[in-house]
Amino acid sequence: MANQNAVRGVVLSGIALCFGLTALRYPIGSFAHAGAGLFPLLVSSLLLLLGLITLVKSRFEPAKPFDFAWRNIGVILLSLVCFVVAAKFVSIVLGIVLLVAVSSAAATSRSWKRSLAIAVALVVIALAFQKLLGLNLQVI
Amino acid sequence: MDVITNLAFGFEQALTWSNLLYCAIGCVIGTMIGLLPGLGPLATISLLLPLTYSIPVNGALIMLAGIYYGAQYGDSVSAITMKIPHASSIVACIDGYQMTLKGRTGLALFTAGVSSFIGGTVAIVVLAFLAPLLGQVAFLFGPADYFALMLLGFVCVSLVTTGNLLNGLAMCLLGVLLGQIGTDLESGTLRFTLGLTPLADGVSVVSVALGCFGIAEICRNLDAREERTPFNGKIRLMPSWPEFKRIIPSALRGSVVGSVLGILPGGGPVIAQFAAYAIDKKVSRYRHEIGSGAIEGVAGQAAADEAAARTSFIPLMSIGIPENAVMALMMVAFIIKGIQPGPNMIAKHPDLFWGLVASMWIGNCFLLILNVPLVRFWLSIFKVPYTVLFPSILFFCCVGTYSVNNNLDDVFITAAFGLLGYILMRLSLDPAPLMLGFILGPMLEENFRRAMLLGRGSFRVFVTQPISATLLAFIGVLIAVQIAYAVARRRSGGPQPGHGERDAPEPVAVVETPGVPAASPR
Repeated sequence: MANQNAVRGVVLSGIALCFGLTALRYPIGSFAHAGAGLFPLLVSSLLLLLGLITLVKSRFEPAKPFDFAWRNIGVILLSLVCFVVAAKFVSIVLGIVLLVAVSSAAATSRSWKRSLAIAVALVVIALAFQKLLGLNLQVI
Repeated sequence: MDVITNLAFGFEQALTWSNLLYCAIGCVIGTMIGLLPGLGPLATISLLLPLTYSIPVNGALIMLAGIYYGAQYGDSVSAITMKIPHASSIVACIDGYQMTLKGRTGLALFTAGVSSFIGGTVAIVVLAFLAPLLGQVAFLFGPADYFALMLLGFVCVSLVTTGNLLNGLAMCLLGVLLGQIGTDLESGTLRFTLGLTPLADGVSVVSVALGCFGIAEICRNLDAREERTPFNGKIRLMPSWPEFKRIIPSALRGSVVGSVLGILPGGGPVIAQFAAYAIDKKVSRYRHEIGSGAIEGVAGQAAADEAAARTSFIPLMSIGIPENAVMALMMVAFIIKGIQPGPNMIAKHPDLFWGLVASMWIGNCFLLILNVPLVRFWLSIFKVPYTVLFPSILFFCCVGTYSVNNNLDDVFITAAFGLLGYILMRLSLDPAPLMLGFILGPMLEENFRRAMLLGRGSFRVFVTQPISATLLAFIGVLIAVQIAYAVARRRSGGPQPGHGERDAPEPVAVVETPGVPAASPR
């Protein structure tokens, strides 16, 4: 099991490096006439510093386990992707049904009837949004 | 008296039928989301942002403000009855829940309701007098001063919401970097867009908020898999006269503390609650009872909570710099409506400013009516199982993201931020400072560039200006104290080296609420 404190330092430094190295490709300019890359470069160097401090500090601290449950976040993200794809190519109604059906896999208990009821209710709510609030949802 | 005529003008604005309706809607939605798990005020306000496009400015702002302070209240109801604070009512769990255990839930809820009302009222008086005054001060601010003020806000928010300066600051900086995505306004260069066209306009606030707070929160609740037990106890609301008399002094103390702490950068409900509770513990006549279910333990913190929720509007509306993440989102709402919050706002849009102030007091009345007699109804909402709730929240996140630009691809961006938010959460990093950094990022850059231009490229410009020098010195002191504290703790082999700095900003913040992660004013 990875140490949470160390992983935090690595992730922060990694993000800082991504932003910082990209910022180098933009015009930096001078302090008096800052280019597009100067400010992001400054901020990402600071973030890199904080990330490295976190990393160093983690060596002197008791390790905390880093538990990461891929399953639920995976299911939720998948359901969002299904929603977009179905809503784009077929209809938003199918999107809602898929969203509910797929995301229900993350629930503690499963029941087709309940999922169907939620989906129907959400379609009705979407219709109400479209008619009453003027959202461009194209339910029907 | 200027203030009184102005307030009367404000009530004239707020007491129209449509504005009353928006205020009521805001309070109802706010209370509901305060009670339900999974959507904090941040996520809800960002969900409703696109829906307010078609509502007039006044009504939209009144509604969004109602959601914020309504949620603060709803949260304390669930904290008192079930010891489940979703956002910020950690202190209400102590004495409030003790009172529930003693079978005095009704009294606790009544106390919270009345104290919130008192706190809100005091805060509105403060708001009406102080905001125009502070607006005058704001005219003295130059770019360097604004830059320093925002930095101070970052440091304070990091300290208060996460209790860990290092993590909080890292989140602020990450937020600033994410705010850089899109077109650079001065040179027109596309930055960090990865070649994707939708990113040229930058990431929308709605996507960041719904991803980091909506989707990540759903996953956390699903991971926890805890079954919530709804509250089924009896509720007897009306207190006896001696009980009622005990509420007042403590609530007044809490209101003052909350009003003051709400104005300071990084301030807001959480720190105000802790401070009010600590003061009650010191000076109350019944201090020996506090901690085991005393009225004062509930009254003071509830008043401070509501007072701070309202006075935190002061820096936003008079200086134009939001002091916490929720206020940053309110700033976005103002800007969407074409209004730049800041010193000119009160003069340019008096109807808006005074209408909002007056609506807060009306919202206060709504909350009292809505919550004290109808609390049973709200508690029954809590019985909706999470398996029904979370697909619906997901759906609302999709609709909210989509309706910003009527673009389905934006949902992918929200999903990406959901993943980011989840990873950050698993790394014990609080996304609230990220949100503040994200919204303030562009302003921070603009003021930095302008200050450097004025200072001809020399950093001395930040120390020669008196205001920015003072603010920067204050930041220096805060950081130095933090480091000294951490070192001292390590030397003495502190009790919990792992979270050494956790309760550093508030020595009183020793609250045993298992299962409650780092407090954040969402």
